Amino acid sequence: MIVPLLVGILFFTFMLVRIGSQDPVGLLAGPTATQAEIDMITRDLGLDQPLLVQFSYYMANVVQGDLGESWLSNRPVLSDILQRIPITLELLFWGVGIGALIAIPVGLHAAFRPGRAFDHVSRFLSLLGFSIPTYWLGLVMLFVFFYLLGWAPPGIGRIGLIVIPPEPITGSYLIDSLLQGSWEAARSAASHLVLPVICVAIVAAAPIIKHTRAIALEVVGSDSVRYARASGLPEAIVRRIVLRNSTVPVMTFVGTELTGLVGTVSLIEYVFAWGGLGQYGLNAIVAGDFAAVQGYVLALALFSVLVFLIIDLLVVVLEPRASEQP
Amino acid sequence: MRESSMRRAVRRAAVVAGAGVLALGLGVSGALAETLVLAAPGTPEGFDGDALRPQTQNVVTQVYEPLVRYGRTTDAQGRERLDSSVVEGHLAESWETSEDGTRWVFTLRQGVKSPHGNELTAADVAWSWNKSFAQKRTGNFIARVSNVSGVEEVSRYEVAFTLSAPSSIFLKALTLYVPGIYDSETVKQHATADDPWGLTWLQEHTAGFGAYHLAQLRPGEQAVFVHNENYFGEKPYFDRVIYRAVPSGASRVTLLKTGQVHWIERPSVQQVVDLRKDDSVKVEEAVGVALASVRMNGTFKPFDDVRVRRALNYAIDQNSLQEAVFQGTGSIARSVVPSVIEGYDDSTFTYDHDLGKAKALLAEAGYAEGFEVELLYSDMNWWQQPMAIQIADQLRDAGVTVKPTRITSSDMRSRGAPAVQDMPFFAFQNPPIVLDPVYTMYLLAHSKGVSNRSRYNNPEVDRLIDEARETLDSGKRLEMMRKAQQLWLADAPWIMTLYASAFEAMAPNIVGWMDYPDTHERWADLSIAR
Repeated sequence: MIVPLLVGILFFTFMLVRIGSQDPVGLLAGPTATQAEIDMITRDLGLDQPLLVQFSYYMANVVQGDLGESWLSNRPVLSDILQRIPITLELLFWGVGIGALIAIPVGLHAAFRPGRAFDHVSRFLSLLGFSIPTYWLGLVMLFVFFYLLGWAPPGIGRIGLIVIPPEPITGSYLIDSLLQGSWEAARSAASHLVLPVICVAIVAAAPIIKHTRAIALEVVGSDSVRYARASGLPEAIVRRIVLRNSTVPVMTFVGTELTGLVGTVSLIEYVFAWGGLGQYGLNAIVAGDFAAVQGYVLALALFSVLVFLIIDLLVVVLEPRASEQP
Repeated sequence: MRESSMRRAVRRAAVVAGAGVLALGLGVSGALAETLVLAAPGTPEGFDGDALRPQTQNVVTQVYEPLVRYGRTTDAQGRERLDSSVVEGHLAESWETSEDGTRWVFTLRQGVKSPHGNELTAADVAWSWNKSFAQKRTGNFIARVSNVSGVEEVSRYEVAFTLSAPSSIFLKALTLYVPGIYDSETVKQHATADDPWGLTWLQEHTAGFGAYHLAQLRPGEQAVFVHNENYFGEKPYFDRVIYRAVPSGASRVTLLKTGQVHWIERPSVQQVVDLRKDDSVKVEEAVGVALASVRMNGTFKPFDDVRVRRALNYAIDQNSLQEAVFQGTGSIARSVVPSVIEGYDDSTFTYDHDLGKAKALLAEAGYAEGFEVELLYSDMNWWQQPMAIQIADQLRDAGVTVKPTRITSSDMRSRGAPAVQDMPFFAFQNPPIVLDPVYTMYLLAHSKGVSNRSRYNNPEVDRLIDEARETLDSGKRLEMMRKAQQLWLADAPWIMTLYASAFEAMAPNIVGWMDYPDTHERWADLSIAR
């Protein structure tokens, strides 16, 4: 199932980036190029071949683990991407983790007492989180917490300017510097994480609150819970039943959220100069760096597949009934 | 509307707050006294000057220095600037020309060393030019316009350039940073059979004779340059330069305002207008060489009639474009040659705003009722969109209906390429990087000029340029270029608008900035005022 899916995704990305009117040859050749030079670069890049031929070359390379070279950086796309994956994952892990830890209890609590003040406030906050443009949110956070208050470090990336970063092990500056006992680097990395993580958490929390509330409301209104209540079970036990029955749909939703956020996070990366996969993809798209765009999309697709796989496995563990269904 | 008023409010608050943050001591002074911290849209994409990539271009100028350079002079405000009429030795000490001007022998300065410890020799110069010939990119273009057909080693410190025909552009072309002069000993150690010019190695390393070299690179995050211990010139003030990638322009401005960085790459004009009002930032500017032109292709109707092209020039009010598009930061264009270039001539410029004349000329050409035309623009330069809108607005008064139409910049680039050039009416910008009238006109006004994108073709102008390219007598060639400028102006192939100024934004205590025609600052020029 996965292989044809990935081939399909690659095919569509491949064609879409080429149908768009990006012109890497013009960018590479520069404004002073003669027609002969433009033709030479076109030939070098293989862009004079029919699209399907180009695609077959590309697929043959991908199968061998070669995603091509970025025309912008002249580096292999695969190593560019591998280097940036942990950087984005670190941001997503903390952001979505903290967002979910706050949003799920809030959503549940709201569902237990629908129509009360807490419910209204949480719905309002969720709506607010939905409506704030991500890019603007990042800029405002920097403006308030760095510029006005001076509490947070500037948006210059993952570590301070004069701090020597740790040797790469996992790719996360925070973890690597902790592993190597380099406290100054760890402190700098942690402080640089705060604002972007809060941004991701806000963006992630809004839909999680909304959906957790909706899912829990449905469960509260279900026959089993009404039966439990009618049987006079204490509220604490009723809540536990609601929790049990909401876990799987909420978890599935958080997983879907996670895959969707990989795109959104690129804007946050851009504002904070984070240098992760999202920023790489955004750059590649703007510059018409075909091989890099394809690599980026492939990485996102694999990431989604992986997340759904993990969720499926977790569901089987949590809800053995799921595996029995046809 | 709401967004812009909000932005204004935020900005106002920012100015008030800026001073406070500086007072907190978050500034870069103190511990980092000899480090220049710079925020750029990205890290360098590589370190080969022949590759036209924006961040690469910005740093190779610090690493590779030319054989000769422009002289220095002081302007009316007492600031140092380049003198385009003087060329003096740099890596080369002196040079001799053969009688017919086709062979130039340069004697290199002795004791010039790269950070790797190798001394500059004639073999380095020959190797570097051969690299550019083989790559067929920017360096090859420079060789072509200056007629260089070969470079060879004569002795350890003497290198000979062979020209296919005498070239008046040649010496000034050597002031450019490309073809860069490499420490070929070092690069050759990293060359392979597949990669004879060591381009893979140059992707993450430098080997030049200039003031700085690359010490560390973390792609996408930052590059650190340190000064070349063996540099032949004066030791630069900053011995370390941190080149940090900050992709968001708004973030770069904030970093500069709060004293986190000394320098930001490429503020937009809107940002410049704001930054000028801010005491925590210094904005320097220089008269630009980039003409924000709107070009008319004479192979299309109605632009095949010179009266129409002149009429459009009369219909345009440059002063109101100055306010509406450039917010007062441009300089009025009166010739295709920028005013800072020796030989600039605007004596026959007559296109001051005159709607009556414009209408009369249009009527004479048979367009008394005006006509309709599409004006193509892209996001290649910040001014193109506002310019297209203003031009449309102003030409309406002359009865011409202009429809501004946005196309992508890559579309614009490919449709302006030599083989295509099918745009009747469009915005474009091609600043000359050699401060020479012949070079400028050869690029922009010659029928074979690579930056003449509207098929302008006047055989007499071509003849003057071709002759001037081979005339070494300065007085004669400048005279020819004066004539050519006048003919060009009479033909009116472009709507004359304004030259966009060059700007740099820096911390208030940074001094020493000079404008170069390639628009890249030189870190070795900069220091902190005591």
